[in-house]
Amino acid sequence: MDTSGEILLEAVDLHMAFGGVHALRGVSLRIRQGEIFSLIGPNGAGKTVCLNCISGLYRPRSGRIVYAGEDITRLRPHQRAARGIARTFQRIELFGGMTVLDNIRLGRHLHMRSGLLAAAIYAGPSAREEVAHREFIEREIIDLLEITPIRHKIVEMLPYGLQKRVELARALALNPRLILLDEPMAGLNLEEVEDMARFIVDINEEPRWRVNCLLAEHDMGVVMDLSHRVAVLNFGEKIAEGTPAEVQATPEVIQAYLGEAEGLYASRR
Amino acid sequence: MAYLPCGVYHERYRQEHAWWQTRFVRAKMGLLAALLLVFPLTTNPYLVSVANIVGYTILSALGVQLLIGVCGQITLGHAAFIAVGGYATAIGMLQYGLPYPVSLLVGAVLAGLWSVLFGLPSARVKGFYLIMTTMAAQFVTVDFIITQYVSRIGGRGHYFSLPPGTVTIGPWVIDSDLKAYYLMIALVVGSIAALANLLRTRVGRAWVAIRDNDIAAQTMGVNIVRYKLLAFFVAGVLGGIAGAFWISSLYFVSPEHFTLGWSLWLVGVVLIGGIGSLQGVVFGSLFVTLTLEALGFAVSGLRDLFPTLPDKFLYVKEGAFGLAIVFFLLYEPRGLAYRWQQMKNYFNLWPFAY
Repeated sequence: MDTSGEILLEAVDLHMAFGGVHALRGVSLRIRQGEIFSLIGPNGAGKTVCLNCISGLYRPRSGRIVYAGEDITRLRPHQRAARGIARTFQRIELFGGMTVLDNIRLGRHLHMRSGLLAAAIYAGPSAREEVAHREFIEREIIDLLEITPIRHKIVEMLPYGLQKRVELARALALNPRLILLDEPMAGLNLEEVEDMARFIVDINEEPRWRVNCLLAEHDMGVVMDLSHRVAVLNFGEKIAEGTPAEVQATPEVIQAYLGEAEGLYASRR
Repeated sequence: MAYLPCGVYHERYRQEHAWWQTRFVRAKMGLLAALLLVFPLTTNPYLVSVANIVGYTILSALGVQLLIGVCGQITLGHAAFIAVGGYATAIGMLQYGLPYPVSLLVGAVLAGLWSVLFGLPSARVKGFYLIMTTMAAQFVTVDFIITQYVSRIGGRGHYFSLPPGTVTIGPWVIDSDLKAYYLMIALVVGSIAALANLLRTRVGRAWVAIRDNDIAAQTMGVNIVRYKLLAFFVAGVLGGIAGAFWISSLYFVSPEHFTLGWSLWLVGVVLIGGIGSLQGVVFGSLFVTLTLEALGFAVSGLRDLFPTLPDKFLYVKEGAFGLAIVFFLLYEPRGLAYRWQQMKNYFNLWPFAY
């Protein structure tokens, strides 16, 4: 894959602090078109904070976020979603009382048009819209992520691994250009990790989707296999960036995160 | 989630999106409609007037259900918006000579806008703090604005009475409980249908998403402030319709009908019926109103044994209502609607357990 293309998202010198804790100290990232970009680092390094800044849940104390040539630093989360930034969460944040299908349908929110009156009457355009989006969801998302058997189940009742998958499905329904994946592998078993990795590669490479992924992840095996480029955070600072091979060879990274060089692939987690 | 019988296969998504998916269910709903239309003709006027109270409770509680059950915004001031609807409709007819349907619409929209005004704090606060602002709606609207200012319009004293024959829809004069009953059926069915449709489309899903997880809703592109205010607007409109219906069956409107007690009562109806369910509103309203009427009979029957009991009926009524809520919270926290689903599933699956 060509990863030298134009820059999709650029975070410039992000600073974020909670009281005396400096969660981010001048982090800059550049995500190029078509990339799977990974953020790694020990617990508390600032990965999730960084993702929250990009998706708009936090407003950085200083710094800029430029997406597709537009400064989005001051936009609200829903406005960023409208520009094509979707995300999943580390602790699952689904709509527990709704079915899988309704969760994914909510992801289509921005692509639906029916207003209050049309929806209250339902017959006509509103009903047609519902059916059209249902077809899209069934064909493009539910099929791709292999969740056909569970689509009418209430989300709360599902096992953890499937909930993670539904979160990805909901994010995909937004038809995003960039997905922020916050620890998509956390808590999954080996088989589920393999499935999830396959889905991430699928949505990144399939011509139908071509979604850019920004991955915050602990699972070294997955990160090194999937990513085109990797950035390493430690105590809110970026200590390395480059291809997986380059990053693995950086001494600071080995010291900060992986401990000892031999330990690199010794265990998955 | 209800089970479908064996052998029902949908070939189109439209079939699966329908409310009533099998012929059996459609027949049942047809029967229900026929029953509702024939009911007042076969019974005594007393039951018709009770049915009107049930209908008024349903219309009033729908907005509360929308705010509390669907959108997760707790409200304790809904009577204020019913009052706005009732007063606006009465003033529209008395002062400006508008026909009833027009003043009903004006009253509903005004109540909706008034509700949005008091929903504005929901952009910033949640939970207990929002309760305070909605209670403010109650006191500011009913005890202050309506009692002190609106009641002076036209110099009619504290309550506005509508002369007989003023409530008309075209040539149809609503001058009896029976006619008010049919108006009530039309309004209740229309409101429930509209709300049910909203709940299965984009708007309703956004509301439920805000209730279940507002942070995730934001990142999925839902403008949560806008949709919260939209929920307040629709709830206010439903309250306004309830108020407008109330004056058509009572022929007068007075601040005493819209107390904080009534707002709390509606929350109780929603709790007993089942939070988040439109069926629950109907079940809750039926349960509460009928229990109350039954209590009335019981009290007058016990007059010989306890001569002072009828004077204390008010306390008995409130006490019974409180007790009912406590029992429901203890033994059926998901309300009558859930119990109804369980019953249907039992019969659908019989003779198997699951």
